[in-house]
Amino acid sequence: MLLLDYQNVLIQSVLTERFSGAPPVNIDQTVSDFDGVTFHISTPDSKTKILVSIQVKCFNELVKYGAQQVLEREYGPYVVAPENGYNFSVQVDLDNLPDDKEARDDLIRRVSLLKRNAMAAPFEHAFDEHHKLQEEASKFTSEEAPQGVREGGQVMAIHYREEEAIYIKASHDRVTVIFSTIFREETDRVFGKVFIQEFVDARRRAIQNAPQVLFRTDPPLELQGVPGVKDSGNGEIGYVTFVLFPRHLTRQRRDEVISHIQTFRDYFHYHIKASKAYIHSRMRRRTADFLQGKCNPQYKLPTKVLRRARPENEEKERKTASGRTFKVQGS
Amino acid sequence: MASHTPAVVMDNGTGFSKLGFAGNDSPSFVFPTAIATKGPAAGSGGSGSGRPAVANKPSYLTGGAGPGGHLSMKRGTEDLDFFIGDEALAAANGPGYGIHYPIRHGQVENWDHMERFWSNSIFKYLRVEPEDHYFLLTEPPLNPPENRENTAEIMFESFNCAGLYIAVQAVLALAASWTSSKVSDRSLTGTVIDSGDGVTHVIPVAEGYVIGSSIKSIPIAGRDITYFVQSLLRDRGEPDSSLKTAGEIKEEYCYVCPDIVKEFSRFDRDPTRFVKHLVTQPGGRKVSVDVGYERFLAPEIFFNPEIYSSDFLTPLPTVVDGVIQSSPIDVRRGLYKNIVLSGGSTLYKDFGRRLQRDIKHLVDARIRASEAKSGGARSGGLEVQVISHKRQRHGPWFGGSLLGQTPEFRSYCHTKAEYDEIGPSIVRRFALLGGPGGS
Repeated sequence: MLLLDYQNVLIQSVLTERFSGAPPVNIDQTVSDFDGVTFHISTPDSKTKILVSIQVKCFNELVKYGAQQVLEREYGPYVVAPENGYNFSVQVDLDNLPDDKEARDDLIRRVSLLKRNAMAAPFEHAFDEHHKLQEEASKFTSEEAPQGVREGGQVMAIHYREEEAIYIKASHDRVTVIFSTIFREETDRVFGKVFIQEFVDARRRAIQNAPQVLFRTDPPLELQGVPGVKDSGNGEIGYVTFVLFPRHLTRQRRDEVISHIQTFRDYFHYHIKASKAYIHSRMRRRTADFLQGKCNPQYKLPTKVLRRARPENEEKERKTASGRTFKVQGS
Repeated sequence: MASHTPAVVMDNGTGFSKLGFAGNDSPSFVFPTAIATKGPAAGSGGSGSGRPAVANKPSYLTGGAGPGGHLSMKRGTEDLDFFIGDEALAAANGPGYGIHYPIRHGQVENWDHMERFWSNSIFKYLRVEPEDHYFLLTEPPLNPPENRENTAEIMFESFNCAGLYIAVQAVLALAASWTSSKVSDRSLTGTVIDSGDGVTHVIPVAEGYVIGSSIKSIPIAGRDITYFVQSLLRDRGEPDSSLKTAGEIKEEYCYVCPDIVKEFSRFDRDPTRFVKHLVTQPGGRKVSVDVGYERFLAPEIFFNPEIYSSDFLTPLPTVVDGVIQSSPIDVRRGLYKNIVLSGGSTLYKDFGRRLQRDIKHLVDARIRASEAKSGGARSGGLEVQVISHKRQRHGPWFGGSLLGQTPEFRSYCHTKAEYDEIGPSIVRRFALLGGPGGS
């Protein structure tokens, strides 16, 4: 499991089960997703009408960048008035499902991608802006282009977590996506640095097509003058910049790119934790080796490091056929 | 950040793991506690030395002796090549993967596998950032404190979870019974009968603390009932007697009868009690299996184990009575009054009623005997009550969900900061959640 899924597994499994023709039941589940997103799956009116609501912390910002339109495009006829306390709701009527299987599967897939689609709006906005600017810029050479075209669009900030944000900026030859990351834990920060370095180096090795990645601990130039950008000064906040080039922004690629880049933070943290788990398992193995006196000859370490005080030949208890025990020295 | 998110409740049992969020009435995910990794299964390895099996070293640590000079080839991700739950079972059927069960007898045996199992449950299934959530985990009664410490190390150091509470399953099962209308006061005193797939435990709990010395286990549980049904099907020569069919019959048709002899004659008088079970075999062939006396005989092995087993012969009511009699005398009344069922094998219809009647018989007989011995003294009687409720199947999980959503839950947890200050030994003690003074 290298990559994380984009869809919410619970919504997917609930809908798959319901759509399969099982007798309708009452559902009432409140579940979380990454980044403080809350889903509520319920059947408020009747057992056949499943209401899926989503609450996103930064929904107001997303709406500003056109989330409502994106969601309406994706869910069209299924959209209902948002449930109280939530930002957006979709209702699926089990009595009124598409007939063929493929359309049903597609509906399941679309509903389970609710969070992804809500968050996709600013990216789509930026990609469209990029295409527009690109068209305009093609009329000029780079020197004589008017200020607006050369500078690119406004920086869009999405404060998707309390202390972290995504900044997106479109310009005529690229789209820049900047993540601010913060680590509470010293160990995590070290792991994080190693990981980011890998991203930065990826282009230098085999993967020439990868977007350029930059990492720095002070706000990059793109973010100058953007309200709310803090320079902690002690390197606690890091800024990861992805530069998406036109080849990433083509029509065929863009959905995939948006999905990928959205899960970056979760992917990043997941892998930090997975590496820790891996290192723990190696530590356990080494401890067991030391205890057992078995050791890889390659390291040339003394055996039984952790059990030196134990006698070489232990008294062993043996059993006779009739079940009586006696002790024997050594073996 | 963790201020508004619901707590994550994880109940990892020997057979199945129940995962979900506090406040819901059922777990979001229930899947086998199994992990499939590259390489042969645990059993076939033959390393009975207790040495944890670890993924092979990635090649960049072996000094570059491995094949392939390409740098990107040397970055191993073998440790991420695994599946959990139902996917693990599916993967283990194919080539290349071996299946492991990290929990044995309710206790975690292989911490490497468990750590990866947790990481996948959190990130892939529950999809939460552990730093934002409080966690409520469960442990079996008599879990060694070292296991708790290991759990805390993983939860706090690997996952940096915001806060952790580890509760005893039996206590959570008691809390789950508060939803029953029979329960008037929310006390944490009672006897829990926890019958899952592998083993049945009878656990006395006084004021939220398990009376460890009095716990009794019975080697008869869900799996044995399935085997018993299967053997009955085989004896009759039914067209399909697979374990799966036996399990389906057990879950769908079995119930507990008040009296076997009467039930036999009732079946003979009324042929509609015999039913037919349709099985679709792999390949699409449909066969019909007759279901007869096993409908009431299968759960009967709890009450008359001699019809199934030759080495364990004590009926469940006698065991429960013995457990309560071996507990301190001042809590026995509470233990008799609040006998709570939990686990999938207690779901048979009228299971609670039969158990209550049988225990009552035992108790009344003893009271009469001592009345006779004392020469005229009258006893005030003793109330025996077995409580069945709707959440029995995932009792411990539901109890966790119930307690995890209370506003004071967070104050009972140990937080990451406290862990960093004191170390793993902090989890040896937890304040009693839902105890006196709680809601």
